[in-house]
Amino acid sequence: MNRTTTAFSIGIKEQARNYVLVALLVVLPVSFITLAFAVTQDVEMPVRTLVDGETATVMRGMPEVHGVIMTPITSALIAGLAGLFLMREAKDTDGRLAVAGYRAWQVIAARFGVLAAITLIVTGVSVGVMLVDFQPEYLWWFVAAMLVVSVTYGLIGMLVGAVFNRLAGMWLMLILPMLDIGLFQDPLFIQSEPDWWMKLFPGYWPVRVMVDTGLTTDVDTALSLVWATGYLLLVAVLAIGVYYRATQAS
Amino acid sequence: MPTVEAIPIELGRLLGAIFGVAIIAGLMGLAQMISARAADRRLVQTGYPPRTLLATRLAALGGVTVVVAAVNYGVLWLTISPEAPVLTFVFLVLAGLVYAFLGALVGALLPRLFEGSLVVVFLAMMDAFLSGDSPLAADIPEFVEYFPLYHPKELLQEAMFQGTYTTGDLGFVAGYLLVLLVLVTVVFGVTMRTSGGWSA
Repeated sequence: MNRTTTAFSIGIKEQARNYVLVALLVVLPVSFITLAFAVTQDVEMPVRTLVDGETATVMRGMPEVHGVIMTPITSALIAGLAGLFLMREAKDTDGRLAVAGYRAWQVIAARFGVLAAITLIVTGVSVGVMLVDFQPEYLWWFVAAMLVVSVTYGLIGMLVGAVFNRLAGMWLMLILPMLDIGLFQDPLFIQSEPDWWMKLFPGYWPVRVMVDTGLTTDVDTALSLVWATGYLLLVAVLAIGVYYRATQAS
Repeated sequence: MPTVEAIPIELGRLLGAIFGVAIIAGLMGLAQMISARAADRRLVQTGYPPRTLLATRLAALGGVTVVVAAVNYGVLWLTISPEAPVLTFVFLVLAGLVYAFLGALVGALLPRLFEGSLVVVFLAMMDAFLSGDSPLAADIPEFVEYFPLYHPKELLQEAMFQGTYTTGDLGFVAGYLLVLLVLVTVVFGVTMRTSGGWSA
């Protein structure tokens, strides 16, 4: 077993031994998303999305629209907090791994691997729970957008963890996905062209894809997924750079 | 099938204010209990009565909650003129106190910031959604009226739009606070126990 695998497996074991966290990663999406579907009014509402390449307003059931929004919020919130706390732990301990002979890329690969694993679990559970009540028109496009937004938020959590302490970071990582996905990108609240600054948020491109591929019968947002992936790569480069500096400094 | 155009804006703002106070106060309560845990145990070992320590923690939490409620009230006041401004503010503080005590209880039971914050945040989100009379929701189960924000929201809504309040709602919130206070005291006492139970 090489050093990266060792550090990765220790990181996973550390998280897996935390039974409360494991339980929460499963129980929270189950209760939250299921509840959202169970109590949302069965009425139709206007949704602004792309249809045949043109922006149009279509009528869709509110439970479906609500599900399309609640699923990424749940996943982004948990992934963001996981990224934040991983970075805070890393700042405390990973400098010591460097002293013990680890190369920077080995520690980075291990930590980011742990974050990726947590994000995969949370995304999988969230989408799985959603599927009980709602089947997106294009499941794999939907899942791809979910993964992109969750990983992006996980990495943003790491960036925030490098700059702010636990409490301030926690505020930020709670407020950011709620405002971004739950308000600025939510078709229920924003029913006209979003302001330019709303498009700068990490949820803009992925949620466009989710609304389109979840609620319409054509895929019109392939380019949006490319932009979302570009956003993710940018955040990843920043997170790696900041992580490198943070662990070097400790 | 019936349709809905948008959430009534004033109700949305009211829900935003009560949710904002609840979640911030809840997380403050959580963080307060966790960050002070180690120091409090040492203070107990040197002879401080746990009840005195807890009282100071909760008093600080109460002060912070009033500030948080004031900020939220200020933001709300910019867009809505409440019929009974003082009552509205007081009920916002009450909503914050309920969640501050709830956060403190979670912090005492689950002294880890990540896990505790997940519990408080998701509880507050579900609570605000279910208790909030949101046009999004229907078929709300009856047990929702035992949720922490249900009665504070009823009080706030009535004070804001009609300038009155219902004594039953106020009594329920007072009872809720009392039960939470007892629970926090018991759990805090257990977690601070050194060798011989309560010192002094």
